[in-house]
Amino acid sequence: MKRSALTQKLLVLGVDGMDPRITRKFLAEGKMPNLQKFIERGSAREDLRLLGAIPTITPPCWTTLATGAYPGTHGITCYWRQSPESLDAVVYNMDSRNCTAEQIWNITAEAGLKTLVWHWPGSSWPPTSHSENLSVVDGTQPGSVNMGVAQLDWEKVIVASPEIKEVRYAPRVDKPAGVGCIITDLEDSLDADVDDEMMELWWGDTARQGGEIRTFVMDDEDTEVVIGSKVAYDIVNSPLKDATGWANAPEGAKEFTILTSGGVMRRPALILKNEAGEYDRVAIYKNKKAEAPIVTLERDKMVSGIIDDVTKKEVTKPACRSMKILELDPVGNKVRLWISNALDIANDQLWHPKTLFSEIVENVGVVPPVSLIGGEDAELVGEIFEPSWVQYNQWQADCMNYCINKKGYEVVFSHLHNIDCAGHQLWHLGKTLSPWDHTDEVTYQGFIEKFYIQTDDYLGEFMHLLDEGWTVLVLSDHGLIVGENVPPIIGEYGGLNTKVMEELGYTVMKKDENGNSIREVDWEKTRAVQIRSNYIYINLKGRDEHGIVDPKDKYDLEEQIISDLYNYRDDRTGKRVIGICLRNKDAVLIGANGPECGDIFFSVEEGYNRLHGDSISTSEGYFETSVSPIFVAAGNGIKPGFTTDRTIRQVDVAPSVSVLLGLRYPAQCEGAPIYQIFSEDV
Amino acid sequence: MSLQQLNSTRFEEIIYDNCEPCLVIFSKKECHVCKEVVPMLEELKPQYDGKFGFYYVDVEEDKELFQRFSLKGVPQILFFNNGEYQGKLAGKVEEESVEEKISEVLGV
Repeated sequence: MKRSALTQKLLVLGVDGMDPRITRKFLAEGKMPNLQKFIERGSAREDLRLLGAIPTITPPCWTTLATGAYPGTHGITCYWRQSPESLDAVVYNMDSRNCTAEQIWNITAEAGLKTLVWHWPGSSWPPTSHSENLSVVDGTQPGSVNMGVAQLDWEKVIVASPEIKEVRYAPRVDKPAGVGCIITDLEDSLDADVDDEMMELWWGDTARQGGEIRTFVMDDEDTEVVIGSKVAYDIVNSPLKDATGWANAPEGAKEFTILTSGGVMRRPALILKNEAGEYDRVAIYKNKKAEAPIVTLERDKMVSGIIDDVTKKEVTKPACRSMKILELDPVGNKVRLWISNALDIANDQLWHPKTLFSEIVENVGVVPPVSLIGGEDAELVGEIFEPSWVQYNQWQADCMNYCINKKGYEVVFSHLHNIDCAGHQLWHLGKTLSPWDHTDEVTYQGFIEKFYIQTDDYLGEFMHLLDEGWTVLVLSDHGLIVGENVPPIIGEYGGLNTKVMEELGYTVMKKDENGNSIREVDWEKTRAVQIRSNYIYINLKGRDEHGIVDPKDKYDLEEQIISDLYNYRDDRTGKRVIGICLRNKDAVLIGANGPECGDIFFSVEEGYNRLHGDSISTSEGYFETSVSPIFVAAGNGIKPGFTTDRTIRQVDVAPSVSVLLGLRYPAQCEGAPIYQIFSEDV
Repeated sequence: MSLQQLNSTRFEEIIYDNCEPCLVIFSKKECHVCKEVVPMLEELKPQYDGKFGFYYVDVEEDKELFQRFSLKGVPQILFFNNGEYQGKLAGKVEEESVEEKISEVLGV
């Protein structure tokens, strides 16, 4: 089969979590001028929607975009997949070797097009083609490049004042919003089990080697919106006093101490006066004997690319950090400073070929860390979390433009995580519900807007390509909603959801001496479990290790569970919270069937669903949000200024890339080209 | 020769302001292993006079220092040079290990 290409160069600008419904709100308000230009010069539906695959979870949807196949076909059916050993555990799934459908980038590379796959969190790593035309950067987690493997140290807030008498360090403190970063009782603030290894556990080497993750979602406190919006970082308190013993301290400077690397690394710092006699800068040194500082920070400016040694597990390596002054008293009686997590600047294990890593570092810069703190602390969101993404976006845009302009890449598949990352921390605060009524929804709606504006700036970095013969597809995996209600404890993607299933009598947890459920399943009494975003497994004899349900009773039990779920009512509102329920064989209707989709597929009903993942993709939320993904195409081969009524499905993207580049379709593709938007009949 | 005790202020001065090459044993009065390791260090100290400092922190008196280094259990011997942490030895350690580590820190 031969087809002529409609374009020679194609860029997919993937933005995780970008929602067409709220995008249209910001477009109408004139806040996204770059996307407006892409729309005017290209094709999209009036509502900008793409019909998302099910489940509306990141790795399945990105894999669908890459393969043109539904999750039931490509086999990536949630963030994690079921552990082959036990029904209550999951194992890592951002591994291309678990994908049973062909990726479009293998076709483009093998057809001779120089192809870059940049941080695509669905079946991109490790590379699955030996073609020398294929380059792949990370894609093993959704966060940011190298986030899963290069973290050496956590984020910190340092507070120094003359009243503090000695240096104190408290690792990974969950700080209630509005409370200052002063350590009053160290013993109380220390979490006995400081989880420094979360990145490794979820996305790092341990996860990639198949380590089981066993998480129980039992009540509201276990949900990701509650956990994600808690602000946890290291706190350092230090005296602030006249500088003594320095080789080169400017007149009037005052000193304080910063601790890094789990407390073992110490950096002395100075606050410095300007000509008017006001303190307005912070200089951080390796030690007091150093002639020059590692960095000098000015007010209101986040500085990235700060290279300093960091020690982790007794090994010391140079790492990249960002820093910003949060507060500096002009008369020198207080300073608050944020320093980012630290990324190993030499970690190239997720870059293929490795030479691309060194070229990027040399020509664009080291990978900047992004902040993961903010949540309910509006100051940190505004001052740190959001600006850290602006810096990262710019670095990523510079990397991709470098690859396009200087390295001759002709096809680029890219992913940016800014909106989804913010969504998981903040979007639920966009409506003031009772558990978080100490926050203000208008403030958080403002943050949502800021993340869309920074996304528009990022898209603008690629506008020039439309004049250089490129085709650009702007798309996402799913949107995120601001919840109308606090979601029920069912459908949380991160683990085993027990509460609703316990109430219905299908899951039984072991009890402590007071009769309270503990985090251990009583398999002798458990007939079914709900795990990951949308799946229910019968505890089946002969299939599952502790199976108690006879296979001949399975069909009737499924029917009973489906009836009970439909009849289940939210205890706060008395309304139905379950959307659709389908047996595995019937879930082929939505492409969520097959061995990785449980015995029953279910969704959470609109109005009760969380951010994304548990609902169907057409669900809408508060503040003009939706779970739907977005799709806009522009450039060579695309009709300019064109609006289509065609329902564009996520499975249609990969075959459309095939048509645009004149190549064959991916082997397991189930979608069809969006021929209505092409500039020529095909 | 007995070891000099450090509180958090002296710790800052000796380790960071003076950037002295030294070791600091974090110990506890009632700890049996400490009672073996501390005398060994006291015996070793004169050999390094003027070249390498020997200090101790009583973790019950200066809990913040113990917590700051995220230490679990005593005794632990931490090594420093030029204000930089150089690693640690934990538990019942032999004299040879300490000498070896000192040589490594001093780069000899």
